[in-house]
Amino acid sequence: MIKYAKNQITFMQYIFLIHGVQVGVGLLTLPRELAEKAGTDGWIALILGWLFSTLGSLIIIQVMKKYPNGTIIDLLTHFFGKWVGKIAAFIFVLYFAFLGSIVFVREGLFIQFWVLPQTNLFILLLLLSIPSYLIVRNNITILGRYAELVFFMTTWVLFFYSTPLKEAHWLHLLPFIKGGWEPILAAAKTTTFSFLGFEIAFFLYPFLQKKQKASIGIVIANILTLAVFLIVTIVAFTFYSPDEITQYKEPTINLLKIVEFRFLERLEIVFLSLYIFVISTTVLPLFFSTVLSASQLFGKQDHSKYVVWLLLLNLVYVLLLPQSLGGNRQLQKEIESISLILVYVFPICLWVYLWLYTCLKRRVLK
Amino acid sequence: MLFFRKYHNKKKQQSSFHIQNNDLSEKLISSQLLENIAEIQNIFSETPDLVVKNIVIKQTKCPAALVYLSGLTDTKTINNHVLNPLLFEVEKEQKDFDAQVSLGDVKENNTWQKIESAILAGNSVLFIDKRNKAFIFNTQGWPQRGIEDTTIESSLRGEHLGFTETGSTNIALIRRHIQNRELKMKEITVGARGNLKLTIMYLADVAKPEVLKELVDRLNKIDVDSILNAASLAEYIEDNPYSPFPQLFITERPDFAAAEILQGRIVTVVDRSPNVLIGPATFEIFFKSMDDYGARWLVASFIRLMRYFGFFVAIFLPATYIAVIAFHFEIIPLKLLLSIGASRERVPFPPFIEAIVMEITLEMLREAGIRLPAKIGQTVGIVGGIVIGQAAVEAGIVSNIMVIVVALTAIASFIIPNYDMGAAIRMLRFPMMIVASFFGFVGLTVGLMTLIAHFISLQSLGTPYGSPIAPLRFPDWKDLFIRFPEWSILKRPESTRAIQTLKAKSNRSEGDEH
Repeated sequence: MIKYAKNQITFMQYIFLIHGVQVGVGLLTLPRELAEKAGTDGWIALILGWLFSTLGSLIIIQVMKKYPNGTIIDLLTHFFGKWVGKIAAFIFVLYFAFLGSIVFVREGLFIQFWVLPQTNLFILLLLLSIPSYLIVRNNITILGRYAELVFFMTTWVLFFYSTPLKEAHWLHLLPFIKGGWEPILAAAKTTTFSFLGFEIAFFLYPFLQKKQKASIGIVIANILTLAVFLIVTIVAFTFYSPDEITQYKEPTINLLKIVEFRFLERLEIVFLSLYIFVISTTVLPLFFSTVLSASQLFGKQDHSKYVVWLLLLNLVYVLLLPQSLGGNRQLQKEIESISLILVYVFPICLWVYLWLYTCLKRRVLK
Repeated sequence: MLFFRKYHNKKKQQSSFHIQNNDLSEKLISSQLLENIAEIQNIFSETPDLVVKNIVIKQTKCPAALVYLSGLTDTKTINNHVLNPLLFEVEKEQKDFDAQVSLGDVKENNTWQKIESAILAGNSVLFIDKRNKAFIFNTQGWPQRGIEDTTIESSLRGEHLGFTETGSTNIALIRRHIQNRELKMKEITVGARGNLKLTIMYLADVAKPEVLKELVDRLNKIDVDSILNAASLAEYIEDNPYSPFPQLFITERPDFAAAEILQGRIVTVVDRSPNVLIGPATFEIFFKSMDDYGARWLVASFIRLMRYFGFFVAIFLPATYIAVIAFHFEIIPLKLLLSIGASRERVPFPPFIEAIVMEITLEMLREAGIRLPAKIGQTVGIVGGIVIGQAAVEAGIVSNIMVIVVALTAIASFIIPNYDMGAAIRMLRFPMMIVASFFGFVGLTVGLMTLIAHFISLQSLGTPYGSPIAPLRFPDWKDLFIRFPEWSILKRPESTRAIQTLKAKSNRSEGDEH
């Protein structure tokens, strides 16, 4: 298909897009959630989660290789016919729209909670919709540039996590595997969800310039994500005592409270404003996938119209239903089980099927 | 936007500004001299500066008439090289008079349309009895000023010749830098009444053909009465007319134009305008100045970094001040907070009002200074200095900190070498101040995000405007924030989409030969 050849993303943009989707709101609460489940062994669960996600990513790339010039929807249409493709497009629209909206609303809720407690959530989301619209209405190239730029703009914040390390107690991490493997495996379930987002590769693959590098790229993206998660988690575990950490809602932000300059205190407020960028790299690709699937569902080339509808729907949703952080979290828990199917079960089944299909076809041809 | 375009197109169809009193497009001249003179006087009615000189050519004894517009021609050339030989010289071997007219540029034509435009452009036209052809002599010579030092983009080490209002002089000024046969030119005339001559200059083996074609297509599409200067021409052809950023580089420096041609960009020389257009422009070339290449590279890099810093200061400093004072005063350490508080103690306004009053005062002072004669300009400076400075603080209208913020912003915006970019930046800080006054740091972040969203999707002649920052092109960073030594930059920037990338060989001997 020619329509994907025109707008391409480079290898770097591909990496940062996937990495950007993976690192989002989850990072703020991650250390606490891990500590609740597995104590200070939580970081082992992170590595387990990373292993799962890397495997899942590689399977997705293997599936996409069977039909390299189209998204997952084109692939399904190619192998199973038009209607399966339409249904798949519909499911993907719903999935990405829900996922994107949950994160989008959460973004607003976080801002409200930490920075602007008196501002209406609707107004905040309206404000956030402006740049979102400006970026998502464009093609994937622009989105790739955005992910790339934001990565380099925000990564330096990680250096501030070296300040709490001065007072770190490394003994908190010992002994390894103190409670057996069971809590770690329980925490691994959480971390698996933290790594979600690589399913965006279903839609990025056809745009990638050098497709032979797709597997390496997605592995690098996963490693980058693991690095970010590990740094934050280990700093949190060593700085706070194992009991204290569970008392903070978002230890990732609380850690920065101790950073002070002669001219600047309460760095976490500045950090949280910057964090809006990090969350936007999760939301915007999800929104983009939504409108891309929507345009494929309705058979239109231009997706920019759907962006307006998607954002309007979000705003109406926020206006009609009262939102809270807890409720939002609950919604995300519910969609996570669907994610598991869509990200792990579905590609594996598809992969096995396509593998058998190509084998049989080859035999028939012989 | 779409609606606007539709409306615009409709309007274009309705208007019919081309049609003039009599249509000359197909008319040919006659062989009768008197008829031709009558026609000329018909075309140029109520034109007192038209000169029709009846003569008898001595060589052929033919009656003839020389026609020209007196202000647009060079009288000396006409007298010495046209009239004098025609009236007095006879050469026996020559039957016709051609050889006598000692001019290089002589053309023949027989259509009234061409003749009319030739006269209007300052040529003189000779009609001869019994001939259905007229001779067009290039005797152009209109009032013009000499070449002077550049006024807006002054530099220390760069060339001290600025472009003038004559297109051919400007072309020569550029050509002096690039003496290469690959320097090609395309001429396009724009404007039904203005007949503005545009000359597109580019290196044929370096500039990308697609970009050139895009530019030529856009210029050909312009259909207006007249365009009076390069900046308004840029408005017709730029990619996003709603963007605050300039998308074509307008310069009055021949050396800068030549340098950009060598990089693979395309220069459009606009006749009658002392500026030329350079495209495709990227964001970073608005932060370059010729002096960067005249200073040592460490110094130049330092200045470059200051400019980019100035860019952020000019856009975000007043907004940050508002956000901090109105929303997040807890981020200021106690000691600093106390001194700010003491300075703001007597100020009755919220920080947004305080800031906007001062910023607008500053903008008015700046604008007043530009268009006033130099002597009064000084007075404005003194008055402004007192108003912005001590008096406003003492009256308790603004705080001392605000004065510092305004002053810093002003200096930071003046450090940008390009006037258009500086103006864009000064404008952009107002929306930032507004969002900051409503939403604090969140507003600032969203403002920055919107700016980035616009920045990464903007194009100039179909080339990404944000290159080499977004899309990220690390090889081009050699001449971005830090200017590497000249000998280390061997390639043309990818941002210009040049088809020939290598521009130099390694000029440094390796190892320790010396």
